[in-house]
Amino acid sequence: MLIEIIDVMISGLLNGSVYALMAIGLALVYGVTKAFNFAYGSLYTMGGYFAWVFLVPLNLPGGYYTVFLTAIPFLFVVGFFLEKFLVAPLRKRSDWEMKAMMLTLGLALFLDIGYIAIFGPRLKSLPDIVEGTLAIGPLVFMKQDLVIFVLSITGLLCFAWLLNNTRVGMAVQAVAQNPAGAQIVGIPKERVFAATFAISTIMVGIGGILLSQKNFVNPQASTGIMIKAWVITAFGGMGSIKGSLYAALIIGMLEAFVGYYLGMIHIDIAVLTVLLITLAFRPQGLMGRE
Amino acid sequence: MLKILAFTYGLIGILPIFVSDSSIMMRILTMILIWSVVASCWDLIMGYAGIFSFGQVAFYVIGAYSSAILSVSLNVPPMIAIFMAGVITAIIGVLVGIPCLKLAGPYIALVTFAFHMALEPFLKGPLGKAIGSGGSRGIISVPPIEIFGISFSSSELVPFFYLALVMTLVCSVIIVLILKSHWGTAFLALKDSEDFAASLGVSAFKYKLLVFGVTSFITGLFGALYVHYVGILSTRMLSMEVFTVLLIMIVVGGIGQYPGVVLGAVVTVTMNELLRPTGMYRLLIMGGMVVVVVLLLPDGVMGLFKKFTFSRFSGKQKQEKQAQ
Repeated sequence: MLIEIIDVMISGLLNGSVYALMAIGLALVYGVTKAFNFAYGSLYTMGGYFAWVFLVPLNLPGGYYTVFLTAIPFLFVVGFFLEKFLVAPLRKRSDWEMKAMMLTLGLALFLDIGYIAIFGPRLKSLPDIVEGTLAIGPLVFMKQDLVIFVLSITGLLCFAWLLNNTRVGMAVQAVAQNPAGAQIVGIPKERVFAATFAISTIMVGIGGILLSQKNFVNPQASTGIMIKAWVITAFGGMGSIKGSLYAALIIGMLEAFVGYYLGMIHIDIAVLTVLLITLAFRPQGLMGRE
Repeated sequence: MLKILAFTYGLIGILPIFVSDSSIMMRILTMILIWSVVASCWDLIMGYAGIFSFGQVAFYVIGAYSSAILSVSLNVPPMIAIFMAGVITAIIGVLVGIPCLKLAGPYIALVTFAFHMALEPFLKGPLGKAIGSGGSRGIISVPPIEIFGISFSSSELVPFFYLALVMTLVCSVIIVLILKSHWGTAFLALKDSEDFAASLGVSAFKYKLLVFGVTSFITGLFGALYVHYVGILSTRMLSMEVFTVLLIMIVVGGIGQYPGVVLGAVVTVTMNELLRPTGMYRLLIMGGMVVVVVLLLPDGVMGLFKKFTFSRFSGKQKQEKQAQ
């Protein structure tokens, strides 16, 4: 019984850590650019397909090292130009928030169907990042789970370092706090927006590479992932990075327990219920500011 | 506004005289009518009231399911079931609206979209089966509408088309009346500056909840009408495909440009049928189209139309603005 609970908790923690990576990317992009990105889940799937192409048909030497080294610049470029060409032109209009939502929703469908058109409708499975298991007393861990957990935490720490210790990170924070003020002191606002978008694309793409090992690369899952990332962001407080971290762990746990004890089909309903209850009592989310 | 609306629906109303032999054409025309009203409701709630509601398809499906369950499980006559479905959808719409309206814009989009996403597992799961949704198999053999012994089913396309036309016209008149009345003015005021409008005594909560109720009533009504027309129902109606098609109508027509969305429905439904031979590339093209139209046509077809017809007027306005 206890072992069972610990197992479920571990799977919750694992999902939660990857969700945290994705949700924090989303919290960042919403906090800075105020653009509601509905194509976020499709970028997650893009990460999964990127890894699959490198590992299975091409079978490049170096395995996951090559994948991570090439995926980061690739995702950066994708995110940067996505913002530059699709979202930035909308920014001049008065109701651009609504237009951005619609555009990204169309983009999400375009990408998801595009994946099916290119790679076929069958789900792709990624090879495990490390094989084998690790036993501590009565508990048996999969080494793969541990590596995924460590990598997503490392990703989060890298992000925290980037945000607090580099010029780019400080520019991002300045724009988030006061866009007009940042522009006055000479921070190129447009470029910061694009860079933020690119960073969030990297985070969700890496999340896709990590989590697709366990769940298959599935273009139909994009919408679910996007909703999950948004629910976590809203639950934690839109634009609040610390809130998203806690929210991701809570949602990861909730999912694992509901999925194990009540059945997978109830996960979405349970998550939505928690979101509605939270928003009813705290409309700004767990740690959001008014 | 009224001229374009009357012209469009008038033209659609006359067309069956020429094409009543072709069942494909009749189906397209009927679907144009149904979608134009559903999309108009979305335009009303999103373009005019400024609520980022992404639950329109969910309300449509709730209307369809409630009418189908009422008429199949409880043997309610379809004509009554349709109106009961409208009322049920309106109640659910208000229930969704109450928590939503306390939230800021993007949260509403999220909650309503999550509501849409949670509806499918609900209908497929044991809870849905308990109320008679038929699980993942859906509901087969929904009875057609009957009025005075005349049955309006998918085998008799022309009578159903005119039934749909009558309902469309009634609902369009309701929408136009809402926009022309003090509701429409209140929406404009709330959209421009919610704080200022509230200080003048316009209750944002009351008006937005009313619009939630009215649009979900009409949407549910048409969802129910649709299910009695096609006769079968499953959760595939909740797919992203349906959602995107509806999205394209409002994007092509122009958000907050009321009769525009009706033109958008005409264009989109026709295009959707024309692209059917291309298989799955249809959705690829549709998704790409949303991106292109949003980027290139800010106010959709209606914006283009206004640009050509009122160019002198807007030029004058610009001069006045510059003078100020």
